[in-house]
Amino acid sequence: MLDAMIRARSVAIVGASQQKTETGGDKLGTVALNYLLAHNYPGKVYPVNPKETEIRGLACYPSVKDIPDDIDLALIAVPAKASVAVMKDCGVKGVKTAIVLASGFSEAGEPELEADLIAAAKEGGVRFCGPNTNGMISIANDMVCCTSMVCAMPRFNKGDIAFLTQSGAVGGSMLGTGNEEQGGFSHWISVGNEADLQVADYLDYLADDADTKVVALFIEGIRDPGKFTRACAKAAQAGKPVVVYKIGLSEVSAAAAASHTGAMVGSDAVFDAVCRKYGVVRVDDAADLLPTAITFSRLLDKLPKGPRMGLIGPSGGICGVCADECHRFGLDVPELPQSAQETLKQFIPPFGALRNPIDVTQQIRSSPTGYQDTIRTVLEQDTIDGVFLLVTMVGEPRASFYCDIFTEAARATGKPVIIAWTGAQSLAAQAIPQIKRNQMPLYFSARGAVRAMRALLDYRRFLDARGEDNR
Amino acid sequence: MTPAEIIKNARAQGSRTLSEHQSKQILAAYGVPVTAERLAADADTAAQAAAEIGFPVALKGNAPDLAHKTEAGLVEIGLADADAVRAAAARLMAKLPPGGTLLVQEMASGKREFLIGMARDAQYGPCVTFGLGGIFAEALNDTVLRLAPVSERDALAMMDDIRAKALLGPYRGMAAVDRIALAQAIIGVGAAALAHPEIAEIDVNPVIIAGDRPVAVDALVVLA
Repeated sequence: MLDAMIRARSVAIVGASQQKTETGGDKLGTVALNYLLAHNYPGKVYPVNPKETEIRGLACYPSVKDIPDDIDLALIAVPAKASVAVMKDCGVKGVKTAIVLASGFSEAGEPELEADLIAAAKEGGVRFCGPNTNGMISIANDMVCCTSMVCAMPRFNKGDIAFLTQSGAVGGSMLGTGNEEQGGFSHWISVGNEADLQVADYLDYLADDADTKVVALFIEGIRDPGKFTRACAKAAQAGKPVVVYKIGLSEVSAAAAASHTGAMVGSDAVFDAVCRKYGVVRVDDAADLLPTAITFSRLLDKLPKGPRMGLIGPSGGICGVCADECHRFGLDVPELPQSAQETLKQFIPPFGALRNPIDVTQQIRSSPTGYQDTIRTVLEQDTIDGVFLLVTMVGEPRASFYCDIFTEAARATGKPVIIAWTGAQSLAAQAIPQIKRNQMPLYFSARGAVRAMRALLDYRRFLDARGEDNR
Repeated sequence: MTPAEIIKNARAQGSRTLSEHQSKQILAAYGVPVTAERLAADADTAAQAAAEIGFPVALKGNAPDLAHKTEAGLVEIGLADADAVRAAAARLMAKLPPGGTLLVQEMASGKREFLIGMARDAQYGPCVTFGLGGIFAEALNDTVLRLAPVSERDALAMMDDIRAKALLGPYRGMAAVDRIALAQAIIGVGAAALAHPEIAEIDVNPVIIAGDRPVAVDALVVLA
């Protein structure tokens, strides 16, 4: 059913118009149509407007019922009250799915209008997204059915991250910044009021979706917890991490508590327990949601087998910072075996440090391959499960050299490698964008890098435990 | 009586909070280790029960809908012989609420106190908490929570997740806690809640570590 929406071969846009709004802007339907065309949607597009005959060179129909083709998806871009009538037409026409953009339903104190919309959809057999949504974008299928300003970006990077958001505005912002970080996306859905399709329905679909390997959720509350946890379990079964940021102290009732325990249980702790049970990766900083999803996407086939980290940096200071963060997040920094330290002695000046953290010193640049050899040697150790590459001040062209050798080392290993680049980005103006384009996990603080590694380890352990319990 | 019968009777009598003894009978049926204890109607029966359990004992008032026994002066501990038990019984019986009786109980002694609790979330069902117990539990607020059913893996992980986890290891001459037994108690609280939807809340506090052995010294089952 969701295939018809996400892989729609034909889209009707109800409410597209050549007329401007009172303030001289494009009407919502026209905005959506323009974005759909700008992003080169390969399917068929049918504007619907009873007052016009042609829009953007496309034949315009008075009603969806008049379109001489099957319609997979109707984008309903008319005001709330009119949306109900359009939904009825969609049912008569046999339209499979719809997106209702308008606000002015239950979120605005009009639950009866929303009930009418639901009834019309049910009667006509139309499944729908919204109302009160910015729409959806299937990056995988070059389909932008969305009015968010984020669609003014010339293109979205294709990839395996799906993003479900209960806030169209926040979700749009995150898609935009994630796109700038060179994250790759499969689908983006602003779920709106979830009058019909809920977060759990989309998640259930994405667990089976070949284009999606990681799901990011920005949510305020869960409508149907049973359905949600079943969908989370399905995603876990498929080995697809679900990364979530949740706002609000929620729908979860802290219930009238007669006992001490009851009073001590917070709703946030309950959601935490839900996440833990189903392996959902919860981030406590909204700014971390997309970066975490992106890191999972990049390292999903290289999850750390254990907590033992190798730290490689050019200064004792940054090594110490990262070692402290490892301690904070429960990662180990074991001393390297004597044999490895002997090997490293060939590459690292005598005033460096070989035990781990490995301080390669600023002088390693005097050796042409010392840095590469050091990284390779550390990654080869059986006692090391992952590596942090730490960078302080470095300018071009050296920065680009780092980019190249870091990328090469990361690609040659099955272990996770995360970069913490703490120096001025403007001095590495070529290197930083290239690192992102190379799909290297990149953070601008040791804490960010270490926290991400910890999340990867937790997920790996969840999958391992799940596997053992199912055996 | 089976747990189901205890709950049914309590409901029939209009009780929302089960007595300590009833609460423990239910929990014991699900693998929670509880104190050895007997009900007694009068001072002589109490003294006899104490002799069977072994001195010293604790004597408590036991009645439905009796949530704060200590505050009501209905707990006497460390009673070393039959005379002490008789004297304490006389004091307690004067304060017992109607329908109340005496509960003679082994003195589980140990300095480490934990709690296990259950609250039913409207959306996600029974949630089991484990953490630091005793009278400072609220102030220290060192608890962790999992959804039921709790697996043994979950239960063991909960012990590692509290800030005071060092208390579970060998600590100042005290033995390491029998983690498997403690895990069984945590699992049992979740299982009782899943088996009996009528139970709204469970409060097992304190769980005293006697030697290495966790024992539920007080417990409260609250019905919906």
